Amino acid sequence: MQDFFELAVGAAASGCVYGLIGLAYLLVLRPTGIINFAVGEWAMLGAFGGFVLLTQYEWPYALGMLVALAVMFVIGWASERLVVRPLVEKGAPLLAPILALLGMVVVYREIISTIFPPDPMPVPYALGMGRLELGPVGGSYQSFFTIGVTLAVFIATWLFFERTVAGKAFEAVALHRRAAALMGINLSRVMALSFGAGAVVAGLGGLLVAPNTSAYYLMGVPLAIQGFTALVIGGVGRVAGPLLGGLLLALAEQLTVRYAPIPSGYAQGVPLVLLMLFLLFRPTGLLRARA
Amino acid sequence: MKFIAMLSAALIAAGAYAQDTIKIGVITDRVGVSKPYAEPATEGIIFGANELNKKGGVLGRKIELLIEDDQSKPDVSAALARKLIDQGAVFILSVSLSPATQQQQTVTMEAKTPQMTPMNSADYLTTQLDNPYFWQTGPLGSVQIATLLAHAKTKNLQRVALITDNSELGQAIAKAFRAGLEKSGIQIVDEEVVSNGSTTAMPQMQKIRGANPEALFVAGVVTATNVLIFKSYRELGLKFPIHASYNLSVPIYMTAAKGLVNGITFVDAYDPDKPEVKAFEAAYKKEMGTAPANLHGYGYDGIHLVAEAIKKAGSTDKEKIRAAMQSISYSGVMGAKGMKYAFPEGKRAGFDPNGMVVRVYEGDRQGRVVYVGQK
Repeated sequence: MQDFFELAVGAAASGCVYGLIGLAYLLVLRPTGIINFAVGEWAMLGAFGGFVLLTQYEWPYALGMLVALAVMFVIGWASERLVVRPLVEKGAPLLAPILALLGMVVVYREIISTIFPPDPMPVPYALGMGRLELGPVGGSYQSFFTIGVTLAVFIATWLFFERTVAGKAFEAVALHRRAAALMGINLSRVMALSFGAGAVVAGLGGLLVAPNTSAYYLMGVPLAIQGFTALVIGGVGRVAGPLLGGLLLALAEQLTVRYAPIPSGYAQGVPLVLLMLFLLFRPTGLLRARA
Repeated sequence: MKFIAMLSAALIAAGAYAQDTIKIGVITDRVGVSKPYAEPATEGIIFGANELNKKGGVLGRKIELLIEDDQSKPDVSAALARKLIDQGAVFILSVSLSPATQQQQTVTMEAKTPQMTPMNSADYLTTQLDNPYFWQTGPLGSVQIATLLAHAKTKNLQRVALITDNSELGQAIAKAFRAGLEKSGIQIVDEEVVSNGSTTAMPQMQKIRGANPEALFVAGVVTATNVLIFKSYRELGLKFPIHASYNLSVPIYMTAAKGLVNGITFVDAYDPDKPEVKAFEAAYKKEMGTAPANLHGYGYDGIHLVAEAIKKAGSTDKEKIRAAMQSISYSGVMGAKGMKYAFPEGKRAGFDPNGMVVRVYEGDRQGRVVYVGQK
């Protein structure tokens, strides 16, 4: 039983990271209709930001984190300006920016692998390495930190969409682009902001997971897949969708490895099976959009 | 007119210079999965070539390296081998992935051009193709495992656990570990796989803890995944000893796994106390300003072996180089004290099966040799 509680905290932390990557997809997808597979590489950039600022320059964690995320915003914003907007303005079909962003996956990775050595780079824990025991539930400081930060991000995102005029503007663009434009909403600004916000959230996911996985140039693709699976499971209709999906995915993954009487090599298939089942039987995900 | 005369003179001079050099092709990986291994090895080759050139080169001619990047992709690799041969390479050194090296052989065999990998460890490289123009001096996978198991045997282990990653090589090494352990009558109480790109290895390590082994064998070769395993090991406060694959011999663990690796034993082909190693490290540091890693030694030995063969052949005739290579006996940086690379009786895998060592991490540093060979 102690194993279970120990695992539950770790799995929840992993699930939160998947959820953040899923949210990064969602933030771009809702107002623009673009599935951006470069979110995994954004997470990698966030992790490398952590390596440079926190490990190499040894900045205080909060400051390093803020600067890294600010840089991520600029990267996301610039991606939209330089990669997506020229295509949209020329009236290219939706597939064009999706493919261009897939190309950006290679660009980001090559840039990182040119600048940094190929080895995994250490990124420090936010609160140091240690364990916190709360009754039967125990886990590393980093796990609790990850869970706390993720919850804060999701609540803030939810409040933004539900309670602010700007959030409503995003929502309106998601519902009907042309109508929103006619109502005076600046479409291009919404698009640029959604890419910026997506990059911040993905970068945060990378920064939070990097103390465990280290920062390395191949870390993006697995995160992009896990985040996408989280999004499919949870559904794109609601902000909480990717978080729920991420938590379920991580629990399913880790509990199968720990308890299912199958060789752990096969347990790797669990996320893919889940992804297929949801795509087949519940393509809208667990949480449906409100009518 | 004067300009054209100058230009043609320069061209003639360049042509003469080009003819004067001995061209050695190098196929490396700058962006793909082998990059962590291939880059230091290539740096070792470059350093070795510069060192040889400073001493006057080989047969009075300078060595010119033609370096190509195959991204560890076998199809690209074969085309590059062809390109290098067309450019006049008399020997090709291959330091990217084993399957890529294998694919290059189809070209070098047909073009009768000597080729060697100073680092690849796949056993099949010299067994699947009967290519008399190919040699391998990287320690074979089977030798690494036999060496590690020979050391483990001295510990009288009965019950062990095995963990690896889901890379092709990690799976292959785990399979070989399993076979070796079963052959020595050691029971494997649990076997786990951690997918590359996982965010934790906690569930696997909990299961291993539950199986209560006397030791854990780590067969994985992906550094990030191994670091994940060691983090969970420390977090769970586990105490059983860890014996690990040659992946632990890459230098990055000293910084990427700070505080995690003390006491872990691993198989390596590098003995820091060997006189050749001390001389190599001192020379490298003086020239490059940084200390070399064991991986640099593979490339350094590779280029010296090639130079030795050409010297012995007395010419750059590929057939003569082939014959010289086959009869070479050379003591380099890699391998246990006193080990010599040699290809007796037509063999083309030249790393002495008793030339590997088992070392132990002391703090965060790769420390002393605790076991030699596989007897």
